[in-house]
Amino acid sequence: MKTKFFIPVVLLIVSLLLMSCGGAAPTPSSSSSGASGEAASSEPIKIGGGFALTGDESALDLPAANGAKLAAKEINAAGGVLDRQVDLIVHDSQYKMDVTAQIAKQFVEQDGVVAVIGFTDTDSVLAAGPTIQTAGLPFITAGATSPKIPTQVGDEMFLACFGDNVQAAAGAEYGFNNFGKNAYLLWDKGVEYTTLLGGYFKDRFTELGGTIVLEDQYDDDATDFSAQIAKIKALPDQPDFYFISAMPYNVGPVIKQFRDAGLTGPIVGGDGYDTPDLLSVAGPAAENVFFTTHALIDSTGGTDGIKKFIADYNKEYGHDPENAFAALGYDTMYLIADAIKRAGSTDAAAIKKAIEETKDYAGITGSISFGDSHIPQKGVTIIAVKDGKFTLGAEVVPEKVPAP
Amino acid sequence: MSTLDDRPANPAIGEVRPNKRGGVAALIQSPVAIRLGALLILAIGLSLLHLSGRVFWQGLVINLGIFMILVLSLNLASGFTGVFSLGHIGFMALGAYGSAILTLPLAKKADYLPNLPAWLASIHFDFYLGPFPLGFLLATLLAAGLVAGVALLVGLVLMRLSGHFVAVATLGFLVIVRVILFNADNFTRGSRTFSNVTPYTGLWWVWFWAILTLYVVWRLKYSAYGRAMLAQREDALAAQAVGLAIMPPRLLAFVVSAFFTAVAGSLYAHFITSFSPTVFYFDLTFRVITMLIVGGLGSVSGSVLGTVVIIALAEALRRLEDVTLLYGMSQITLAVIFIVIILFRPNGLLGRREIVLARLFRKGGEPSP
Repeated sequence: MKTKFFIPVVLLIVSLLLMSCGGAAPTPSSSSSGASGEAASSEPIKIGGGFALTGDESALDLPAANGAKLAAKEINAAGGVLDRQVDLIVHDSQYKMDVTAQIAKQFVEQDGVVAVIGFTDTDSVLAAGPTIQTAGLPFITAGATSPKIPTQVGDEMFLACFGDNVQAAAGAEYGFNNFGKNAYLLWDKGVEYTTLLGGYFKDRFTELGGTIVLEDQYDDDATDFSAQIAKIKALPDQPDFYFISAMPYNVGPVIKQFRDAGLTGPIVGGDGYDTPDLLSVAGPAAENVFFTTHALIDSTGGTDGIKKFIADYNKEYGHDPENAFAALGYDTMYLIADAIKRAGSTDAAAIKKAIEETKDYAGITGSISFGDSHIPQKGVTIIAVKDGKFTLGAEVVPEKVPAP
Repeated sequence: MSTLDDRPANPAIGEVRPNKRGGVAALIQSPVAIRLGALLILAIGLSLLHLSGRVFWQGLVINLGIFMILVLSLNLASGFTGVFSLGHIGFMALGAYGSAILTLPLAKKADYLPNLPAWLASIHFDFYLGPFPLGFLLATLLAAGLVAGVALLVGLVLMRLSGHFVAVATLGFLVIVRVILFNADNFTRGSRTFSNVTPYTGLWWVWFWAILTLYVVWRLKYSAYGRAMLAQREDALAAQAVGLAIMPPRLLAFVVSAFFTAVAGSLYAHFITSFSPTVFYFDLTFRVITMLIVGGLGSVSGSVLGTVVIIALAEALRRLEDVTLLYGMSQITLAVIFIVIILFRPNGLLGRREIVLARLFRKGGEPSP
């Protein structure tokens, strides 16, 4: 009786494991350093793509992965890199940190990639980073905006996007110049991104001479913001605008509740607002909202590069890009392909050097140059919500940026 | 009513009978020899894996060991006593943060945690005894000891409750731990990722602790304390009527289990090397509970089996996902398998039974009487 169920279950698992190992890891010979010697072969160049395709971060990672895959397809259609096809190997990290650490090892050891791209959040990058750094492979994150990442991981780490200090400074300057000197600051204290963004905003805004009339926080899983709203209403002088540093899944509810409570002033935020949820959840409440992001993904207001990207993306996936992270994933893939082309080989050290030498690379999310810093100097797009649509508010480069 | 079918598993009773033949055969078949043999096989397997240098498979086996410690200790607290705890990942979080703060080298401490109180800022458990990272062992023991102390205080209050009340109360503990970790910025960096922890955790560390946990939990189950735990789980009134106190065995199980959960936290912290309070929340809680329930509440070997089954299935399905490109399928499939197991084996794969190594071996070799 005991063994009746036990044996079939064990057999099932063993067969599944064997089946999957046979399918996914056909070349155990390719080690982390083995890629350099086979430059002359016609085998595809393997690039690892780590994304949290399921889980809380998927609203950002799924578009980023789609963008990267589209770019890889275009590169291959145009003849590949160094006369070789590009093979973007995507693994789902499920937004679990132990799985994230494991897929980094899988890229390095079993897939034999020459570089890794991916992720849009700091936690995932820091969980995957050490393995990739130790293996000596370049790692470009598509959308993790913490400016501290390169010092935390090491010299193989690059960002394809601007740092949070840059976008917070842009938001602070935009608010100060357009709305006034008194700001209200609210942030999600459960996440590194929102905490850093709020902190950098405060640094730059007070440096400009502005005053934070009230600072408040909420829990990451909060759904009710009435306590915070009550505190604002109790203020003797109402702020000129609200800076709310929120994650994509909180943006809609928090804005809707602010508007429902009669707080109609301008709301400013970061790239976490760049999600279709903002318009679908908040609806008309989203009017008078401004946020900093990487590019305006709009088929009428965007640049030519953006328009072509939207058309291609729509053709491939049957819908427009969800947000700017699709464009970031697309740019990241092209960035690494460009570096491999200039390096003239798939040697990891040569690719890293070529990435560092990237100058004025014209991506669709802006021009990318790496100097001594592994964070690109890029302009910030400010989007204004008008008539239920994202419209271009401004393209800015902040005058001064807080230290990371 | 009291179907204590874990009785035949007792090695003390089961082992004495067949030793009539004596000589070498009996020695080889003695439980001690079989257990030593199993340990030897494990050690050889780990050595081979270690020598192969395959970091991916090493990582998987490390994960397996860490989850095994978590499931075994949760089983001790919940399966043996019937007091279901949803808050154990809170102990894991405390163990992870506690040990990571202790082992952080001085230079990094000044950099990452500049606001630590002076007495803590000057402590650094990053010293070695020859090649042996003694500091890591001490930090783990210290953090786990402190967590056991916390568990004693929490347990004194919560172990008075039973049934679903205790589940809700321990869930409250998990939430409290999370809020404290978020707000104690000076110690934990708040919501920001605690990164650059030294990667001490390796195969040997994890499996040393896993085997120790297995041994302690096993011995505890068949001790007088363990009998008291099982008795009060089956019928608290009857247990009291024969003179067994309810509180001491429950509290013992809770504290010991918190100790090992914190050890697992320390191992996890020094393996992943970067984490934030969000990591130690519902997701991990439910993964551990899934393994526990699939294996069988109250069965030690069931915990081992449940962990192996779920980890292997999750990995196999994840690999399958990469081939089929149906991302998310693995989690759905895992959930369906979980439902099927609960429908057809409500008590888990093993229920409350145990797999006894000695008996597995004897079946074939023993001549029919």
